Amino acid sequence: MHAVDEHLAARRILAVTEEELQRIILDIHDGPVQKLFAALSQLNALQAHAQHRPVSQAEWQPLVGRVSNLLEESLGEIKTSLGTFRPPGFARRNLLSVIEGLIIQQEDFTAMRVDFESEANLPEVSLPTKIALYRILQEALSNAYRHAGVTQARVRLSATAGKVRLEVLDEGRGFTPPPLVGPEATERVEHIGLRGMRERISLVGGTLTLESAPGAGTHIVVEVPVNADE
Amino acid sequence: MSEPIRIVLADDHELVLEGLRGLLADEPDIEVVATATDGAALLILIEQHQPDVAVMDLQMPTLDGLSCLAEIRRRALSVRVLALTAFSDGESIQSALEGGADGFALKTAPPRQTIEAIRQVAHGNLVFPPAARKWLQGRRADQPPPALSEREWEVLTLVAQGQTNPQIAEALSVSENTVKFHLQNIFPKLNVTNRTEAAGVFFKLQGSRK
Repeated sequence: MHAVDEHLAARRILAVTEEELQRIILDIHDGPVQKLFAALSQLNALQAHAQHRPVSQAEWQPLVGRVSNLLEESLGEIKTSLGTFRPPGFARRNLLSVIEGLIIQQEDFTAMRVDFESEANLPEVSLPTKIALYRILQEALSNAYRHAGVTQARVRLSATAGKVRLEVLDEGRGFTPPPLVGPEATERVEHIGLRGMRERISLVGGTLTLESAPGAGTHIVVEVPVNADE
Repeated sequence: MSEPIRIVLADDHELVLEGLRGLLADEPDIEVVATATDGAALLILIEQHQPDVAVMDLQMPTLDGLSCLAEIRRRALSVRVLALTAFSDGESIQSALEGGADGFALKTAPPRQTIEAIRQVAHGNLVFPPAARKWLQGRRADQPPPALSEREWEVLTLVAQGQTNPQIAEALSVSENTVKFHLQNIFPKLNVTNRTEAAGVFFKLQGSRK
């Protein structure tokens, strides 16, 4: 990749990362924090009542039940945040293994079904390429789950002529893909994930094509040369 | 009533130990025989108390859970292991399965699920999310069937039923040492390091062999 393009891509990646961090903070703020606050308020109210008069079982039992539910829900939301952003031992595991881990995680978190096919003998890829492919698949599966309205997706991992190819397909509601490159490239906030995928793969010398149309599902193909960034 | 399930708990967070202990105090079928706050201490406790189940955090000082698990398997300690962690990402699940844990419980799930997992693991069940079991089976399916002798198949079948070495020895009218000898031959043929993994391979192969 050209040095100027590379510089630009690196800057955009930084911006995307910041926006992603922002999203995590907001998720924690809107989810667990509100629920923990509510749970604590209920407990404090119970404490205050108990100082003045005996609290009957009919009073404390439903309250404890509500607090318990709030705490369970908070933990559940924290689970997803922790799992989503924890790096999966990239240095220790090969590409196939980290991708398999991601698919287990996606199925476990969302009850979505991901059919996965892979060639048995994939070439080794560099660490940055492995990370890029992982994060792109993560975004693609997350989009399929959140936006495509499907509970099923397909992932294929293959290798041809010095390239590794990752495909993600769903038969969901689809959309009109925005331009991701050139002067018309989308700057809209809802397209940040797509831009992130595109920037990540270009940083390691790869390409991303996205085919989708309303009602026609989505097909993402990522190709990256095996040794481009060595 | 049958004997209670004897367990040791290991977690470097005192709050978690305290919470679990408090909850388990009301479960008559489970007895906490000891607790540890690091991996090295856990290993000593397991050898000392020979519990049925070790419930351990995967992130601990001195020896983390996975190293501890490897050591338990290397020393062929007969304890069943339930990994307890706040991290439910795919890699944590993979590592626990590959390391030969019998189960995987989450600190981000309601604690009663951990208690149920202790019971399941104690009864010889593999307790992992369904997505992880699917992955494990797919991985095993890629390998050619191992060349086991009829006797080795018999031993493996009993292992898969959750039987201990003395039980297998009795069932086959052989000595316990003979059972151990067979297992030493079976594990490398299946490319596994422990009984749980061997049982996993057995269930996968069952269909194809009949």
